Amino acid sequence: MSIRVQRDWGEIVRRAVRYVVLGAVTFVVCFPLIWALLTSIKPTGEIFTSPPTWLPKELVVEHYSALIHGKPMYFESGSDYTPDTSPTQHFLSWFFNSVVVAFGAAFISVAIATLAAYSLTRFRYHGRRVIPYLSLLGYMMPPIVLVFPLFLVIVDLGIANSLWSLVFGYVSITMPFCTWLLWAFFRGLPVEIEEAGLIDGASRFQVFYQIVLPSALPGIIAAVIFSVIVAWNDYLFARIFINSVQNLTLTVGVMHFFEGVHVNWGLMMASAVLMTLPLAALFMFFQRHLVAGFGAGGVKG
Amino acid sequence: MAPTGQASRPRAVDPDEGSLRRWWAEIRQHDTHVGVLFILPFLVACLVFMVYPVVQVVRMSFYYRNPLRPDQWQFIGLDNFRAIFGDELFWDSFYQATIWTTSSIVLQALLGVAFALLLHYPLRGINVFRGLLLFPYIVPTAVIALMWSWIFNPEIGVLNHVLMTLGIIDENIYWFSTPNMAMGSTIALSVWKYTPFVVICVLAKLQTIPLELYDAARVDGAGPLRRFRDVTLPNLAEVLMVVVVFRTIWTFNKFEEIYLLTKGGPGTSTFNLAIYSFEQSIANLKLGVGAATGVVMTAMLLAGSILYLRVMRFGQED
Repeated sequence: MSIRVQRDWGEIVRRAVRYVVLGAVTFVVCFPLIWALLTSIKPTGEIFTSPPTWLPKELVVEHYSALIHGKPMYFESGSDYTPDTSPTQHFLSWFFNSVVVAFGAAFISVAIATLAAYSLTRFRYHGRRVIPYLSLLGYMMPPIVLVFPLFLVIVDLGIANSLWSLVFGYVSITMPFCTWLLWAFFRGLPVEIEEAGLIDGASRFQVFYQIVLPSALPGIIAAVIFSVIVAWNDYLFARIFINSVQNLTLTVGVMHFFEGVHVNWGLMMASAVLMTLPLAALFMFFQRHLVAGFGAGGVKG
Repeated sequence: MAPTGQASRPRAVDPDEGSLRRWWAEIRQHDTHVGVLFILPFLVACLVFMVYPVVQVVRMSFYYRNPLRPDQWQFIGLDNFRAIFGDELFWDSFYQATIWTTSSIVLQALLGVAFALLLHYPLRGINVFRGLLLFPYIVPTAVIALMWSWIFNPEIGVLNHVLMTLGIIDENIYWFSTPNMAMGSTIALSVWKYTPFVVICVLAKLQTIPLELYDAARVDGAGPLRRFRDVTLPNLAEVLMVVVVFRTIWTFNKFEEIYLLTKGGPGTSTFNLAIYSFEQSIANLKLGVGAATGVVMTAMLLAGSILYLRVMRFGQED
């Protein structure tokens, strides 16, 4: 942050140019999101006008209220309209399912990974150096390779078509990464305070609970956010593991909006906005942790 | 969830409580035992949810298996591998995945470095721009697929309208129904979503480059371009290498990014190996062939990871 405080015009112009370039780049990058948001508040008639109106002439919430109240507006124009099969009426339960599996999986995998990372960095036993790299390998495994055999495990456990199957499925993806991330994070934490605590007669558990967990909190938050993002994003596992419409998550559910003769773009964009909102909130509150997590886990050193 | 200190254990309903308590005391006495106790959940979860499935995939790749008839497991040796290596679609998928990956990674790296340089410069309000430019990384792929099919819609999509207004095109482009354009749209999706990953990594590295290096270069009369080439780029080389390896491995095996947008189509023109494997398992009901594809993918991924570990000089530190 060492900026020379000079009042020369060259510098001011250069700054102005930077702002313009940044603004333009940001606008182009964010345009899809802006456009989705604008479309979602236009009345259906206006959405289909050509050329498109940039800013909505009339603001409506019909698409959002259709999703929230489950109004079957989607199939209205289709001939095979049946009130029970409208995807909109499941939107809220899909949303709820997504929240449950994303946070459930994040909680379990971060809990396991925290214990593992602490163990790997503070104790000496065979394999403690290899395990983090193996878990990195596990993280790199493409989900498509694991999904079918995992499904067999899920069936054997008798939890197919339930939200538990998704929780475990997502744990299997996120846990290796969380372990890797937290392992890198714990290595950077000073051992001296813990040793002092141990010498003063605290047990390992007390040290872990009272010293290690609080100082590892930024890493833990980063791991939770990453896990939530991964689980919230997934399509494949929910597609394979879940059979019944009510138990779907958002990603698979909203793809049903494409079915039928008539695509209601306002409804789709409204669901896109609602699907992004929870992550946007997380992102806004924890942006710094997210970046720190990248530093620790995404790229070593 | 870890039991703390002297807290009583909740599951002490065992009739053999005395010995359990002794076992517990023993664990707390021996430090290494605590370590093993802590790693245990991880090992169990790994075994059930990672090692076992991987073993199953490898096993399945040597079998004929139809998911609708679970009783029929038939060992067929290397037939599945022969089938995929003799399948033109497999090689097409491989080739298309290579194009998809290469284009995505090159664009991500170039844009990523450019954005990071833009965002590195200290300006008032830069954090807002940072936040907005990193945001696409967390947007769910399904949401991007929805937005893309709306924006790239051939008749009423805003992209065709803008291109037409600017005079770049004369007639509507059918983004998803012509093979090249479908590939282009999926590449656009991948670049939009994953460039922020490169930005974050490069930005973190940029902030560690000592400013003295730039001052020294300036004293030596180096202009902005020279400073970028001689100071910034060499410092970024390592992180870029790592990012490119990571992103290549991931991008090559991506499923949702293509499937949700084009389903691999039109025809099979945007198939990659992940979609090939999915279609073999689901549409053709050949789980064995799908698994064999998975094994091939994993083998390539291992090669890539070994490259990564080489780059990071695994085992030479601490």
